[in-house]
Amino acid sequence: MAEPAALSTRASAKKPRITLRRRNSLLGYALVAPIILCLLVLVVYPFIFGVAISFTDREVGTEGNFIGLANFIYLSKVPSFQKSIINTIVLVFWVQLLKLVLGLSIAILLNQAIRGRKLWRGMVLLPWAMPAFVAYLTWQLLYAPQGGAFNLISVGLGFGKIDFLSKDLAMPSVIFATFWRGFPFWVISFLAALQSVSQELYEAAAIDGANAWQRFRHITIPAILPVVLVVVLLSTIWTTNGFENVWLITQGGPSDATMTFPVLAYFGMQTMRIGEAAAVSVTLLPIFAIMAFVGVKVLERD
Amino acid sequence: MLNKLTAGQKIFAYACLLLLAIVIVFPIYYMVTVSLKLPRDIYRVPSLLPVNPTLKNYTDLITKQDFLLNIRNSLIVATAATVVSVFISTLAAYSLTRLQYRGRSWVGRLILFSYLTPAALLFIPLAVIINRLQLGNTLHGLIFTYLTFAAPLSTWLLMGFFRGVPVDLEEAAMVDGATRLVSLFRILLPVIAPGIVAVSVFTFTGAWNELLLAMIFITSKDLRTIPVALQYLITGDVFRWGLIMAGAVMAAVPIMLLYYLSQRFVVAGIGAGAVKT
Repeated sequence: MAEPAALSTRASAKKPRITLRRRNSLLGYALVAPIILCLLVLVVYPFIFGVAISFTDREVGTEGNFIGLANFIYLSKVPSFQKSIINTIVLVFWVQLLKLVLGLSIAILLNQAIRGRKLWRGMVLLPWAMPAFVAYLTWQLLYAPQGGAFNLISVGLGFGKIDFLSKDLAMPSVIFATFWRGFPFWVISFLAALQSVSQELYEAAAIDGANAWQRFRHITIPAILPVVLVVVLLSTIWTTNGFENVWLITQGGPSDATMTFPVLAYFGMQTMRIGEAAAVSVTLLPIFAIMAFVGVKVLERD
Repeated sequence: MLNKLTAGQKIFAYACLLLLAIVIVFPIYYMVTVSLKLPRDIYRVPSLLPVNPTLKNYTDLITKQDFLLNIRNSLIVATAATVVSVFISTLAAYSLTRLQYRGRSWVGRLILFSYLTPAALLFIPLAVIINRLQLGNTLHGLIFTYLTFAAPLSTWLLMGFFRGVPVDLEEAAMVDGATRLVSLFRILLPVIAPGIVAVSVFTFTGAWNELLLAMIFITSKDLRTIPVALQYLITGDVFRWGLIMAGAVMAAVPIMLLYYLSQRFVVAGIGAGAVKT
C-alpha cells in the first residue's frame, strides 16, 4: 500500500483529484480492515451466534436442535434464575446509588481548598489501580469468619462474631466491596467535570446573592450533568455484567443469596448445557441493547 | 468552588478525608499484613498487626506453587495483547480520523458498540468459537480474545488524541513528499505518544487482570495466568490466605507501579471518559 501511495501523491498534481481521493479511501479501508476483522470474529459473530444457540438444546459435543423458546420457559421456572434477576437489580441499584452519592460528595470534597490535594487524589485512585481480582480476594478475606479483619474488629469492640457472608449479609457485603473498587473512576470523572465549570459563573451568582446550595443546584448540577449521565450509563452496563465481584467473594452463595446473571451463566456453562447457559446471557440482551444504543449515541456526540 | 472554608467546615472536611483514607488504605494494609503471616499466626494469634512477619508465603508460592510460571504466562499474554492491540488500534484510529471513505461512521459505531459489549455477554459463544479455531487452552487464544475489550477502547481513545493534532502538520510533511503512512509513523506518532502510553497501560492491565475468559479457556495447569492460579487457591476447602495474599501483592505491585509511573497519561485517559471497570 505504502509504495504506490507515494507515487500517487506526486502524480496527482496532473491527474484528476478523484484518483487521490480513491487511493485515500482504499488506504482507509486497508487500515481499519484488521480491527473490523477482529471485531466481526470476536464480537459480532459471537453476539449473533449466542442468540442463535440460546434457542437450541446444544450441549458440549453436540450441535443441538432448534427448540424455540423452551430454554427461556424452562429458566423462568428455575428458582436460581428468578433469584439472579432480583439480585442483579438489587446489586446494581445499590452499588450505583452509593457510587453516585458518595462519589459526587468525595469529588466535591477534593475540589475544595484543602492541603495536599494531589496526595488525596492519588489516594482515591488506589482501589481502581489495584487489579479487580486482587481487590475482591482481599475483601473476601476481610469478611472471612476466621482470620478476617472485620471479625477481629467486631470481637475486639465487644460485638462478637458477625458472619458477613451469611445469607442476610452476603449481598450488602458484595455491594460494599463492589462500591469500594468502583468509586474512584466516578470521583475522577466528576472531579474533572467540576473543574471545568467556569469560576466566573460562581462569582457572578455570589454577587447576585445566591447561597451555596443555590449555586450548587443551578450552576454545578447542570454543568456536570452530561458527564454524570455518561458515567452512570457506562458503569451500569459493566456493573450489571460484573463477574469477579460475586465470584471471588461468595460464588453466588450462600444458597443463591448473591447469585447474579454472569455467575449463573458461568455455572450454566459448567453443566455443559451450552444452549441453556447462553439463554441466561441472552435474557439480559434487551436491556443491554437499549443501554448500548443510548451509549453509542451519547459517545458519538463527543 | 475553591471558597475559603470556615474553621468548622475545615474540621469536617479533614474528618471526612481521614475516614476516606481509612476505608481506602485499610484493606490494602490488611492484604499486605496477612501475606506476611504464617497460617498458624493468622488463625491462632488473630491480630490486625503483622505478628511474626515472614516472607515464607512468597517463597512457598514461588517454589511450591510454580507461581513464576503464572507470572510468565500473564506477562506473555498481557505484552502480546498490548502490542497487537495498540498496533491495529493506531491504524484504525488514524484511518477513522484522517481519511474519508464510505461507511466510515458505521465502522465508528461498530467500534463503540464493541467497546460497550461486556465479556459476560459473549463468553459462552466465544468459548465455542475459540475451540472451533483450535485455540482452546492456548495463550494465543487468550491473546486473541483479549482484543475484544482492548482494541475498541484503544481505538476510541486514540481517535480523541488524533483529533487533537492539527492536520497541517502532516500536510506539510506530505508536500515534502512523505507518504501518508510515513507521515503517520514519523510525524503523528511522536505527537500522540502520551495517548499510546495511556492506551498501552490500559490494555496491559486489562489483560493482566482478566479472570473470566482465562478461567474458561485455559484448562491446563501450566498455562494458567495469575488471576486463574489465585482463584484456584480459594476453591479448596482450606483457605490458604497467606499464600493467596502473597500472590495478590505480587500481582498488584507491578500494575500499581505502572499506574504510578504513567499517572499523567492515564488520568488524561480516564478524563476522556473511558475504562471498563
